[in-house]
Amino acid sequence: MKISIIVITFLSILFGQTGFEIAKMVDEKPSPIDMSNMTKMVLTNSKGKSRTNIMVSKSTGGNEKQIIWFMEPKDDKGVAFLKIEHDDKDDEMRMWLPAFKKVRRISSKKKGDSFMGSDMSYEDLSNRELNENEYNRLKDETVNGIECYVLEIIPKKELKSSYTKHISWIAKNGLYGVKEESFDKRGILLKKKEYTFQKLQEYFIIDRVFVENVQKQHSTEVTFLDVKVDSGIDDGLFHEKNLKRMPR
Amino acid sequence: MTGYNSKYSDHPIRRWFIQQSVDHPWRTILLSLIVTIIMASGIRFFTIDDDVMKMLPKNMDSRIAWDAVQEEFGSTDVIFIAFGEKGKSIFHSKALAALWDLMEEMESNDLVEEVICISNATRIDNVDGFMEVGDLQLERRLTESDVEYIRKYLNRNLSIKKRLVSENEDYFIVMVQPYNSEGMDIFRNTVVSISDPILKDFEIHYGGQAYITGTMPALIREDVQSLMKAGMLIMVFILLMNLRSVPGVAMVMMVIGLSLLSMLGFMGWILKLTGSDRFLFTMANTSMPIILLTIANSDGVHVVTKFFKELRYKKEIQPAVVSTMDSLLIPIFLTSITTIAAFLTMITSPLEPMIGYGVTMAAGITWAWFLSSLMLPAVISLKKWDVESKAISQQSAFEKGIDKLGKVVLTHPKYVFSVGALFVIIGVLGLIKVTVDVNLSSFFKPGTEIRNSLDFMDEEMTGTTDIRVRLAGDIKDPEILTDMINLQDFIEKDEKVSISYSIANVVEQMHRIVMDDDPAYEIIPDTREKVNNLFTMYSMSGDPDDFSGMVDYDYEVGLITSLSKVMSTDEIFFFVENMDMFIENNFDSSIKTTVTGMIVVFRDLVIMIVKSAIFSIIFSLVVIGIIASIFFKRILWGALAVIPLSSAVIMNFGFMGYFGIELSHITAILSSIIIGVGVDFAIHYIAQFRRLSRTISSDKLSREVIDDVGYAIILDAGSNMGFGALLFSAFLPIQYIGGLMVFAMVSTSLGTLTVLSALAELLKKRLIGKGKG
Repeated sequence: MKISIIVITFLSILFGQTGFEIAKMVDEKPSPIDMSNMTKMVLTNSKGKSRTNIMVSKSTGGNEKQIIWFMEPKDDKGVAFLKIEHDDKDDEMRMWLPAFKKVRRISSKKKGDSFMGSDMSYEDLSNRELNENEYNRLKDETVNGIECYVLEIIPKKELKSSYTKHISWIAKNGLYGVKEESFDKRGILLKKKEYTFQKLQEYFIIDRVFVENVQKQHSTEVTFLDVKVDSGIDDGLFHEKNLKRMPR
Repeated sequence: MTGYNSKYSDHPIRRWFIQQSVDHPWRTILLSLIVTIIMASGIRFFTIDDDVMKMLPKNMDSRIAWDAVQEEFGSTDVIFIAFGEKGKSIFHSKALAALWDLMEEMESNDLVEEVICISNATRIDNVDGFMEVGDLQLERRLTESDVEYIRKYLNRNLSIKKRLVSENEDYFIVMVQPYNSEGMDIFRNTVVSISDPILKDFEIHYGGQAYITGTMPALIREDVQSLMKAGMLIMVFILLMNLRSVPGVAMVMMVIGLSLLSMLGFMGWILKLTGSDRFLFTMANTSMPIILLTIANSDGVHVVTKFFKELRYKKEIQPAVVSTMDSLLIPIFLTSITTIAAFLTMITSPLEPMIGYGVTMAAGITWAWFLSSLMLPAVISLKKWDVESKAISQQSAFEKGIDKLGKVVLTHPKYVFSVGALFVIIGVLGLIKVTVDVNLSSFFKPGTEIRNSLDFMDEEMTGTTDIRVRLAGDIKDPEILTDMINLQDFIEKDEKVSISYSIANVVEQMHRIVMDDDPAYEIIPDTREKVNNLFTMYSMSGDPDDFSGMVDYDYEVGLITSLSKVMSTDEIFFFVENMDMFIENNFDSSIKTTVTGMIVVFRDLVIMIVKSAIFSIIFSLVVIGIIASIFFKRILWGALAVIPLSSAVIMNFGFMGYFGIELSHITAILSSIIIGVGVDFAIHYIAQFRRLSRTISSDKLSREVIDDVGYAIILDAGSNMGFGALLFSAFLPIQYIGGLMVFAMVSTSLGTLTVLSALAELLKKRLIGKGKG
């Protein structure tokens, strides 16, 4: 036991941080208390056909509570979505369907389910819990002039992930993700993700995500506009009754 | 030697041919072999593919609609797998675990685009007030209550159940869709090799157009090989009986073998150079090798038999070869050119493979003619023949038998003529009984593995013949969705249709779920906004690909899919016509609706087969008549040449009607073969009539002609018994072709000796008068 501790300490000194340590640094980096933005999402299929959605989103606790109002396309205007994540039970998801004048609870049992027909699943959108994965540090690389740590992230069995592993490139300066590749249950590349960030106050805030499902040849580009952080969003906003109230 | 050369023939072209064979045998053989090798080298590009869709012209409406559906919704060719045990419930954890394994294995295969089965089906349900979208089967291992939950869910959603479970709940159904429609044999083999070990504890049945198309190449390959063996054996037997000389038989077989290799290689080369589907080798083409084998044999056997006869009298090889070729070059050329012309008329067929069939056969016959006219005499002239051998010095039993048969025909011409005429009348009456059928499952003998499997899918399951209706319009519009439901209801009224599904069914199901699972709301919502809300809500948790087989990405094109059991031709016509009328009367003109699927393809194939058969008969008779008129310098000869053929064609189709042999894209080629091959008899007769009319008095002419030409004609017909090899085919229509061709050869040869001779006798004053002039 003593020998192995000595070896790990020695390797850690020799090679710098371990994968887990880097992941921990990423996890612990400061994040805004709340955030609001205008989200533009463009979905493109293998034949080059596109659909564009524009939404207004407000969230707190790193998306633990989130409310989304659909602005475009015209067909969807007025539809609203509320999500409240729970640690000890299934997430709550409600939708306001203006044509039916009803709020409906929806549920998805699968983490791998697509979010709004995009290439991002609920698993992709949720915060990655530090202890639910194993981290292996790979050789550092430079991506688009940004020096990156490269981590192999393997979800633990109990997580019941829809992926077998991710390879993640993390900017050394800022600890934000630059790109990621995710592999399906057969170990075959499924998604390629690219991120760009902007510095807002002391935070690195994501302003564009591009996800390509290489197997389906379908892609999703999400651009975050008019981003505001720590603006003091009231926790009472995340209530069913507010779904009907479109933001101005 | 030079002086002898000038006596080879009085015609410069014949003289040239004979010179090449007799004076330069090695050069002729070498050049023939080189060209044969070049042609045969195309065999590596030779491709077997029996995709029904490739038989249709690309500009045909149902083909265009089919291609559009494939482009928008992926390949609609699927393999159906049914597994279980008859009479026992399939709803148990072991079967669902096997289904799970099968689904996972299939989905991980690169050739598979989509698998549709319970294990990956999406469940839209109302659970404790939640609209829940999830997997119907959550995991591989299920408890009894999980299994019961799945069963209950399917019983609440019968449109899904019908697709995935048999009516008696004793079989699960899996649909496997390929990425594309190419290489269907590899796809079929992959599906079977994955399924068989996983489902080893169950009864397994396969079906669907993709399965048939994928199974065909191996069956065709196997069939061609066994037919060739049977054909060669029959040929060797006939030849040995006739020639009684192993080298003689070997020489004829050499011509046959080289012609066959060249023809198949030619087909490969043309496919490679043009990329045209017309030159794919389909089930219809299975008869090609045997037909060429028979035609090439006919050429070769005439040469060798005549050579033996000549050698019997001349005692010297070279003069015997010269004399043989001088008298046979013209008849062989004429019989070849008319047969080529008859096959080339197939290019008028609207069916794509028929065009390739005709062109390839024409090429094969051309090469067989070339080899028989040049290479065969060259080979014969090189061998040192034993003039005293029995084969050469004595008539064969076959020859003697033919003499006797000829005498019977000559002694009782009126009787034979009456019998022939009676057959023609009976044939005419049978014509109206001819039916058309293109259902591939009926091409396999009952009791064979593939037929049993296809029958099972049809009788016990939903059937696998698809009907697709493509609707272009605003698919979120409640009016269009209601139209879709109404059309589906109409389609399902037909007792042969077992299931119909579309995006409209999903909208109804989501509507019910949103309205607290109240069955009263399992209808299309009344506003577009509501429909849109339902789709948006689904997108929050469902996979966007869930609807990809029913609606396009922009919700501008919808697809109704229905599955039916096998329908007869009449039922198909009635069904499609009614469906078209329903659409015309009930749908708004702004909705562009196209009906396609295998059922419409079958309807169009039927129309084309009838057109193809009629065109082919008319064109080949006209072309043969023109060629005969030109060569024999009399229009009357042209008209007389086609009379026995017309009689044979009428009798052929009449007999098809009586014996219930359906006209299909396989049997449609019969008329061309009958006309192309059968015309040889008339040519032999007319050529001899014209030759003898110069030296023999008119009162003895017909008798002398029949005496002289009877042997050649009967020998030809005897050689053509090689068509009988087709009776050994695994495919029923090919067997029918074999039987009908044997009958047609008998009827055309006897028809020539009776009908044609009687007519020539009646018209001899006109024929001889002009001929002499």
